[in-house]
Amino acid sequence: MSRWVLSGLRAGIRSTRYPAQPDEAPGVSAGFPSGRGLAQGDSGEVVQRCPTGALHRDGGRIAVDPRRCIHCFRCARARDAVAWESGYEWATFSGGGPLTNAFRRSVHVRVVDAGDCGACLHEVKQIANPYYNAHRLGFFFTPTPRQADVLLVVGAGTDQMRTALEKAYAAMPTPRRVIAVGACALSGGIFGPSFACSDGVGSIVPVDIEVPGHPPPPLAILHALLLVTGRASPAEWNASGDELGAERGR
Amino acid sequence: MIESLGVQAFFILCGAGMLLALLVPERRNPALLATVGAAAAVAICVSAATALLTGESLGVSLWSVPAFGQLSVGVDRLSGLFILVAGIIYLAASIFSCGYLQRFLGHYSLRAFSVLYFALFASIVAVLIARDVVSFLLAWELMSIASFLLVVYEYEREENVRAGYLMLAMGEAGTLAVLVALLLLAGAVGSIEFHGMRLAASVLGPGTRWAVFLLSFMGFGVKAGLVPFNSWLPRAHPVAPANVSALLSGVILNLGIYGIVRVNVDILPTSLIGVGVVALIAGAVSAFVGILYATTENDAKGMLAHSSIENMGIIVAGLGAGFAFTAAGRPVLAGMAFVAALYHLVNHSVYKALLFLGAGTVDFRTGTRDLDRLGGLIRTMPWTALCFLVGSLSIAAMYPFSGFASEWLTLQVLLRSAELGSPALKLVFAFVGVALALTAALAVTCFVKAFAMAFLGMARSRSAEQSAEAPASMLAPMGALAVLCIVLGVTPTFVIPTLSDTLESLADGRATQALVPPFFPAAPDHASLPAAFLSEFHDLGAQVGSSVVPGRGLVVLHRGGTNNPVVFAMSTSYGALVLVILLAVVAGIVRWATRRRRVTREVRWDGGLRQLFPEMTYTATGFSNPVRVVFDAILRPRTVEDTEETVAQHFRVAIRRSQEPVHLVDRLFLNVLTTQIGRGARLLARMHHGRVNAYVAYVLGTLLVFLILSVALG
Amino acid sequence: MRAAAIVPPMPDDWCIRRSVHRDFQGLRCEMEARPEAFKALCRWTAETLGYAFAGLVVEQHREEWLLRYLFHATAARALALEARGSRPSATEDGANGASACGWIHVLLRQPLAQVNFPSLSDSIHAADWHEREAEDLFGLIFEGHPSLGDFVLHDDAWQEGLAPMRKEFDGRKPPALRSPNPDWRPERIVHAPGVFAMPIGPIYSGTAESVHFMLETVGEDVIRAVPRLFYKYRAVEKIAEGRRAEDVLLLAERFNGIAAFAHGLAFVQALEAISAMEVPARALALRVLLAELERLRHHTGAIQEICESTALVVAASQAAMLEEELLRLSCELTGHRYLYGLLACGGLSRDLQDAAIRSAVVRARGILERLESLEEKLVRTSSFLDRLEEVGIVTEAEALAFGVVGPIARACGVARDLRIVQPYCSYADYPFEVPLEIEGDGYARLRVLFAEARQSMALIEQAFARLAQGPVRAAHVNVAAGAALGWTEAPLGAALHWLRIDARGAVVRYRVIPPSFANWHVFHRAAEAFAFQDFPIILASFGLSVAENDR
Repeated sequence: MSRWVLSGLRAGIRSTRYPAQPDEAPGVSAGFPSGRGLAQGDSGEVVQRCPTGALHRDGGRIAVDPRRCIHCFRCARARDAVAWESGYEWATFSGGGPLTNAFRRSVHVRVVDAGDCGACLHEVKQIANPYYNAHRLGFFFTPTPRQADVLLVVGAGTDQMRTALEKAYAAMPTPRRVIAVGACALSGGIFGPSFACSDGVGSIVPVDIEVPGHPPPPLAILHALLLVTGRASPAEWNASGDELGAERGR
Repeated sequence: MIESLGVQAFFILCGAGMLLALLVPERRNPALLATVGAAAAVAICVSAATALLTGESLGVSLWSVPAFGQLSVGVDRLSGLFILVAGIIYLAASIFSCGYLQRFLGHYSLRAFSVLYFALFASIVAVLIARDVVSFLLAWELMSIASFLLVVYEYEREENVRAGYLMLAMGEAGTLAVLVALLLLAGAVGSIEFHGMRLAASVLGPGTRWAVFLLSFMGFGVKAGLVPFNSWLPRAHPVAPANVSALLSGVILNLGIYGIVRVNVDILPTSLIGVGVVALIAGAVSAFVGILYATTENDAKGMLAHSSIENMGIIVAGLGAGFAFTAAGRPVLAGMAFVAALYHLVNHSVYKALLFLGAGTVDFRTGTRDLDRLGGLIRTMPWTALCFLVGSLSIAAMYPFSGFASEWLTLQVLLRSAELGSPALKLVFAFVGVALALTAALAVTCFVKAFAMAFLGMARSRSAEQSAEAPASMLAPMGALAVLCIVLGVTPTFVIPTLSDTLESLADGRATQALVPPFFPAAPDHASLPAAFLSEFHDLGAQVGSSVVPGRGLVVLHRGGTNNPVVFAMSTSYGALVLVILLAVVAGIVRWATRRRRVTREVRWDGGLRQLFPEMTYTATGFSNPVRVVFDAILRPRTVEDTEETVAQHFRVAIRRSQEPVHLVDRLFLNVLTTQIGRGARLLARMHHGRVNAYVAYVLGTLLVFLILSVALG
Repeated sequence: MRAAAIVPPMPDDWCIRRSVHRDFQGLRCEMEARPEAFKALCRWTAETLGYAFAGLVVEQHREEWLLRYLFHATAARALALEARGSRPSATEDGANGASACGWIHVLLRQPLAQVNFPSLSDSIHAADWHEREAEDLFGLIFEGHPSLGDFVLHDDAWQEGLAPMRKEFDGRKPPALRSPNPDWRPERIVHAPGVFAMPIGPIYSGTAESVHFMLETVGEDVIRAVPRLFYKYRAVEKIAEGRRAEDVLLLAERFNGIAAFAHGLAFVQALEAISAMEVPARALALRVLLAELERLRHHTGAIQEICESTALVVAASQAAMLEEELLRLSCELTGHRYLYGLLACGGLSRDLQDAAIRSAVVRARGILERLESLEEKLVRTSSFLDRLEEVGIVTEAEALAFGVVGPIARACGVARDLRIVQPYCSYADYPFEVPLEIEGDGYARLRVLFAEARQSMALIEQAFARLAQGPVRAAHVNVAAGAALGWTEAPLGAALHWLRIDARGAVVRYRVIPPSFANWHVFHRAAEAFAFQDFPIILASFGLSVAENDR
């Protein structure tokens, strides 16, 4: 057993400094499209290219609806491509606010897979790996909703998971918050709505925090959990100037 | 005076009960049984209590039978204790029968039941008051027959009749052994009366003493259900009606212990270490085997029957410790051991009767005893559940119920073997202690299973879903027994002196002084405690309650020598008080802290299933499976079925598995015995081949042999 | 190894039509069977010719049902092909022609009104779940199949007879009437005193995918373990119909995000086969490189799951670190951690710079070395091996009967890897080994994962070393109508995508046969006769994906 202890010690501490300092390591996030001022007439083609309708014209700019973007990169590869912004603090409030001060330091999270493709769930699992180390921030996974404060839902909300998701939400004691993670959970992605799938888990349980991305990287999920405990600020999508200005200012 | 009146009233009531039972119509019989039975029980309880508490010994000579001697009866403290226990159980069972016997109306004769019931009661008391061999054995036989007839009451089921016959056969074998033992004693002194046989102690040699011990231990051991004579018990107890099962476990098993104590403590106090060792080991093995089979049994009454074997084993282990300490010359420790054994006996009678009545109530309402098919009964039968819970907690030796005090005391006494000299003896004590500790752990498992599978969770069958609470006539006796469990557990400092006094006249024990020191000034020997000791314990609160509670004190304490003044100490009385106060305080705090919170009830969490079915919850078999797996080498179940049905080679449509347990004792002892006896019988049967010539030759041959013998012996 | 020359000829009256096609994917034989000889023909293909049953594609045409049973040549066949100089003789007809083909499609046609079909599962058990899926989604009845129903559409959530894959069903919204079966009970086949069915899921553990298990047991040992899948059914095949092929590529990538590149690659290969598109060499090499990068990352994740399930926390943390590094490497190289958005019909959607690729390859080699040192420590930790050795055994016979694919099959001695037996992209140009183990237990599966990770790294380096310069995408070609099969060896095994498009480039039928489908089918065999405590470990050692199976 000593070889494990020694190799563990030799590996050292790899945890990111986030949220104390922003994480600038390459490859932590795929980023998001961001608009820029375009001359009249040529933003139309880019907007048409988006298969889920996540881009639309807003005056002279292209605004992005992050809840719909599925990272197909078509807009980035067009002739007049949209700019691409890195960053990862993407979570916003869409229902209730953060939990009370009693939960500021630690929450227990019940993750429910409501039809996820595997990538979002995988990113959620990664927040417990040594690079992100959610435990140091007080976030723990629990196997029962009875002891959970936060319900983290991934996946588009398939019809056959409807009862299970409703029951998981009902089994949580108050106060509770629901975080919907990923484009599929927010808008159905490219899967919903259909006879087998809804257009997002918002039609099954009330969603309090939305985390766009496809899949959102682990740092975005950490940001959402910090948001629900009142230790971070929400992103400001399509605000004047820089869309993803939230994390720049920190 | 009161005693003799009480006894006479008792027999008159029993006789009247038998007569009236024949005259009164069928459907009134249960009520008659309840009233007359309760009255008889009260009468005998009063008599026995007087004998127990005041110590007056009653001895009455009856008739003088030529060629035998003087028949006599009497009540002393030991008899009084056993009669009191019997009376209490009978009181509860009688009132319970009022409602319970309704299920037999129209199928079986209730008149016969009542007659047998009173006959059994009378014969039990007769056994306990008999003071000579002849009346003892007459009453014993009557008791055996009456209990046999009650066990096979539902005679239409063949397994019931077979179980009853096994009980009768083994019982008779035991009676034979007892007969020989008592005759040996009687022959040595030339008198059939017990008080005369006490003189035999000085007359008999060690060989005869061993013979008397072994024969009486075996004989009474059959009745008490000790391994390896217990094969009848797990078969007979479950098939009897519930009130009869309560009597079997709560009263009749005690008669075996009574016999062992009467012969080996009263009449012929032991002076051989070996006697103690035999009893210790027999007790330990019985305890372990009993609880192992109880844990893996799914029939509620079968489980309780096996558990009776376990408890009898604990009692006998306590007795064995007493024998060993007596032989080693430590009378105080011996007294403590006997007190522990008798305390456990009293507790066992009460909680076992309670549990059997509870199982009977469940069977009455749901029609099934199979734990795998019950469940959720706490919602439909809450009071029964509460009483059964108290019984389960007591039998699992949970503080502060009755089982805790006696089992704790037994284990503490076994630890006192440290004061003995012989290492071999200490080893035996250690082995027995380990076995009893393992038994206690398995007992907790067993009764968690029993209570949880029957009363908690979801109902596993329609009959369990549609059950209803039992009538008051069935709930009242259970409730009374439950209260008694709690009382016996919380007042050990009153029970122990009573039991110790029982033995003081028999063995030279001073257990009272050793176990319940007189902390309260009201106690007569309060002055005998050294002042330093008293002040130490005064600081710890041992005087709390001295102004309101009578008696010697509320702490059970064993005082050692000067190097360890206190060997062990406990107080269930104070503990129960603290427990109640704590519960009340915590409940109050919780209510205050959540006074403004809204409590909502949500559906149970089941992993998000659309519907949870009862078949998805744990069964009793599943719960006890780890025990079955760990002790597989002992249990060795026989595989009955292990098949798979497939269609088209890969589609499985059915998988069948079943195993049948064969009891260890049956495997190693009873089946071996019966095959050997059968073989011997077949050998002898060769003599009976039908030829008259040979039979004539047998007669002539025998005549010849006797002629030669008579000539040779002159 | 069976010599092709002594294959007995098949009776002529079994087939209505027989044809052999050759294209850049290889040789393919299509045999349309007479209904009465259909089962005999399939059995002959599987047993006598030695082809492996890969899946069933059901298509509803305007006036008929077309059932296409896919068989592919196994390793023995590939070796036979090599022995003959790897260029099979192209004959149009005859038994010898059939036995030289990479793929054999057995077709069965019936008028639309006739929905009763013969069941193949009594002789080829791998067809069992395909037939159950077809019954649930199309309403076809396979006679002789003992347990149809309650498969994709749960009977306690949907009514019988819904048949959502039929053209007349509008998949965009739920049906007006919902009437699930109120008397639904779980299927129980174990008869033993005290048996009960312990339910696990669909929501269980900390971060597990949604799947339900019923463990029939009498307490300690699992007597029967049945998974209930399709809680995550998103009807990918249905919603693809009518969409443009480029948009269905998005579906193909995203229905199983952790093997997005492999499934996307199978889809574009089908699309390219339909329009006979020539993919440039640089694109082929980069496709191989990226697919192997994905396999390396996927296997690292699977190793991490196994270590976590046995509660060997240090190993799990170290494997998790390696996986995170591979994810970051992928993101740096391609812009997305899971390689989304790289594939396009005719090549890749963007080029990658050689310098970036070189540094990525070097870093990946460093990660692999650390993975190998992790392996060295693991195989010397006896408490870890105790939980895996001789636990969760799949025998070779079971693997063959259930049509198991991927690392799980290779751990049972079934040497099948589509990169070798049906080479695609430029895999034929890079020699590599396919690891094979025979025990079929959890430890064998772990060894296969490590060995495949090593081989993936070797392939990455080979692909980079011989990386051609040039365009990464073919010039735009009009997509024609047609149908084709695309396949890849995804990290979990053989992935098949069948695509039929019309003249306007819209998808008419899209069928996905994921590797997890056959592997979930055999899972219950591995879990039975072991204790509860072994169940999560057996589950982790299989490393199956529910999202991939449920589509």
